[in-house]
Amino acid sequence: MAHDRDRVDPERLRVILAIETTCDDTCAAVVTDQGEIRSNVISSQGVHDRYGGVVPEIASRHHLELIGDVVDDALARADVALPAVDLVAVTIGPGLVAALLVGAATAKGLAAAYELPLAGVDHLHGHVAAAFLGPDPFEPPFLSLIASGGHTLLARVTDHGPGYEVLGQTLDDAAGEAFDKGARLLGLGYPGGPALERLAADGDPDAFSFPTGQRMGGLDFSFAGLKTALLYRVRDLGEAEASRRRADLAASYQRAIVESLAIRTERALRDTGLERLSIGGGVAANGAVRSRMSALGAELHVPPRELCTDNAAMIASAARFVEGVPYPGYLGLDVYATGERILVAT
Amino acid sequence: MTILAFDTATSATTVALSGVGDVVFTARHDPRPGERPGHATRLLPLVARLFERAGIDWAAVDRIAVGVGPGTFTGLRIGIATARALARARSVPLVGVSTLQSLALARPHPDAVPAGLDAVLAVLDARRGEVFAAGWRMDEAGEFDNALLAPRALAPEALAELVAPLGPAALAIGDGAVAFREVLERSGSFIPQDDSPLHKVTATNHCRLADHLEGGVPDEVRPDYLRAPDAEIAHRPQ
Ligand SMILES: [Zn+2]
Repeated sequence: MAHDRDRVDPERLRVILAIETTCDDTCAAVVTDQGEIRSNVISSQGVHDRYGGVVPEIASRHHLELIGDVVDDALARADVALPAVDLVAVTIGPGLVAALLVGAATAKGLAAAYELPLAGVDHLHGHVAAAFLGPDPFEPPFLSLIASGGHTLLARVTDHGPGYEVLGQTLDDAAGEAFDKGARLLGLGYPGGPALERLAADGDPDAFSFPTGQRMGGLDFSFAGLKTALLYRVRDLGEAEASRRRADLAASYQRAIVESLAIRTERALRDTGLERLSIGGGVAANGAVRSRMSALGAELHVPPRELCTDNAAMIASAARFVEGVPYPGYLGLDVYATGERILVAT
Repeated sequence: MTILAFDTATSATTVALSGVGDVVFTARHDPRPGERPGHATRLLPLVARLFERAGIDWAAVDRIAVGVGPGTFTGLRIGIATARALARARSVPLVGVSTLQSLALARPHPDAVPAGLDAVLAVLDARRGEVFAAGWRMDEAGEFDNALLAPRALAPEALAELVAPLGPAALAIGDGAVAFREVLERSGSFIPQDDSPLHKVTATNHCRLADHLEGGVPDEVRPDYLRAPDAEIAHRPQ
């Protein structure tokens, strides 16, 4: 293996190798410090569908099976050898601890072997930083809405760093979880978001009225009541009628999730005076969400789908704005679970 | 040949470095009661400390050995993911070592055990009232490469029943032997006192085993979970 490192080239772009194993996607990417994506490999496990959700132990076993090839693939596609990497980045939380640990152990091992620096990245900072990637980066200040199966977050982004200001978040289920749970009540498979969206396309969003938390003030989200409302509605209609009106139920339910997101986003735009909006997370791939957000009047930025769902390119993007720790300072780095609020050093 | 070995299958984190001079450099972390295992935060710092003591760096390592369990699922993955990444990065062979076999390599001082022992049982506490166990028969040279009992997860009572024919000729060691002392002693096995170092997995023995084992491609070294995830068991067709 030729070590590019020995050749000193001051003009050479710095390259970041990033690893992401927060949930059930095993990801690695190579990104330059200018935000150019050299490779972005995502291996979706797809094994959790029959369990109706992600099973941490199964996800973690699959991460270990997949991570080696995913990293090799990311380096090969970027045509970069490990010793030529300038910084290794890895998601350290919040997420499934057992899953995060596979990525963290891998990243620390790879970095240690060549005494490379390493940056531990907050997963949500990664989602925010997806906007900074690519040929047309969306620059702060802007309002960021991140909605996925794991998180629902509104943040005021004034610079590139992890110090974004959290304006609102979910008090119970995440938006993507609401999609999945609704889909299950309507007899659709897991993951439910795309299936529910397809079914909703044939339905009437005004057919049923579901709660959007309009009267709940502030910028926090709550989706638990919505799920319960759908459960009761299906029960009241009876099996046959509910089945006949599945598309209407899906359309009305989806509309309530979208409205719930839109109401808070609109409030946040008004409160902050921001005129630019970036959306991310898997729910940003939903067509109804996109069109409703574009109607809010703010300049809207939606990254391509593969940068909305979990990926490592966004982790590399965030790592550009996090202080890398030199070897051996990171060898004892730990990960943190969802709900454990650890502030990343800024 | 310089071998770096570590094991994170039990609550301990144990690392060893052999082939640098005549000594085997070792370091370990054993959590105090109630303390979480230090696998994620201690493993690589312990390795770095050994390198410092031995005066070597990563380029000097010829072979890496890692305990593949059985043991705690998360612990196994931390050890194996770390070992694979290091071996892959440095292009050195990786050897997967059975944690039970390494444990069984313990050499008790003759004064510490009764005479006539000719079998050793490695027994780890597998939680939920079970143990991970394997057994080997010692030959005349004191080596024990004859498998007596293949690695498995089972109730201590079931293990006691299986090894009862060995009677007092069996030495049972490991945290599982300590945890289920009464059950296993009833079958005749000899178990050293609770605080004996014989009960602890040590990567020193991984180095000894890895000296003779064939190293291979990092990703072919897999955890020996011995148990399916709960969700999978629940979903199995009846
Ligand atoms: Zn995410």
